[in-house]
Amino acid sequence: MQKKRLRRENSTVTDFVQLWVYLSTTPLFGLTATLVIYASAQTIYQRLDQAPLANPVLWTVVILACVLTISDTPYPTYFSGAQFIHFLLGPAVVALAWPMWERRSELRRRAVPLLLSALAGGVAAGASAVAIAWVLDLPADLIRSLAPKSVTAPVAMGIAEQLHGIPAMAAVFSVLTGLIGAISAPYLFNVMGGLSAQGRGFALGTASHGIGAARAMQVNVDAGAYAGLALGIQVVLSAILLPLAARFI
Amino acid sequence: MVLMLGLLGLELVRAQVSTVANGLLMHLSLLFVPVGVGVMTHMALVSKYGWQLFVALVLSTWIGLLVTAVVFRALLRAEEAPSS
Repeated sequence: MQKKRLRRENSTVTDFVQLWVYLSTTPLFGLTATLVIYASAQTIYQRLDQAPLANPVLWTVVILACVLTISDTPYPTYFSGAQFIHFLLGPAVVALAWPMWERRSELRRRAVPLLLSALAGGVAAGASAVAIAWVLDLPADLIRSLAPKSVTAPVAMGIAEQLHGIPAMAAVFSVLTGLIGAISAPYLFNVMGGLSAQGRGFALGTASHGIGAARAMQVNVDAGAYAGLALGIQVVLSAILLPLAARFI
Repeated sequence: MVLMLGLLGLELVRAQVSTVANGLLMHLSLLFVPVGVGVMTHMALVSKYGWQLFVALVLSTWIGLLVTAVVFRALLRAEEAPSS
């Protein structure tokens, strides 16, 4: 009996030691640095009245990349800590169903115009990216990684893999597309004029996925809801249509 | 996501999901940071084709935004016209 308890205590100690070894070999630096820098960037963004150019994702990425370069930290070391944030992208994609569900009556009522504009915008963005890249003589695997750029990064990686592109580059293109949209869309829409908050949100969600949608949500609830809707539709459309389209090219 | 949409039809699932989903989506942009920092691992490709990639990304994003916005506006106007 005593022997048993002793063994159990022993195993708790070994568990603890193993946890300690795990934590010390898993640098939490990546996780901490990401959270601290993002929180600061977010505060500055709020202070600057959410100026598009102060986009917190852009500055967090730039500052982190500089910090990693200066401190000579390889990306895998950083990622072993940051993966805990990265991991949440999967659940977040699933969570996109929530704004769609909340707007289900609108989605049903306007199904045809919404689907058509999402399809038109998605095809226009993907096709123009591929066409411009082809004209500019970019290598084929980069062009293939450009095709799913208007979809949210984790899905874009999956699609790029199916298209025999470079998943990591597809993720980067997707993030950049989101940033470009989030930063430039307000100016673009002002030039266009006469566009409702819903239209702005929907265009942002279609052309620049989660980062655009995050921007839309901060500007206006209605815009945010439509952006969430658009981004969900885009995920479904691209995941089905892009691999099909690639088969014919 | 599509599965989730189906499951949200159940009241039981909805109550559990709403807080988590809203929390996750509120900080959605943070989740893109680790992938974004991944640019640094592809610096060779990026510096070699930097400007071409930039032109392709910026122009296609603008085209995507404009086409969506124009089609959206035109279709909703067409939808509202007969009813009003």
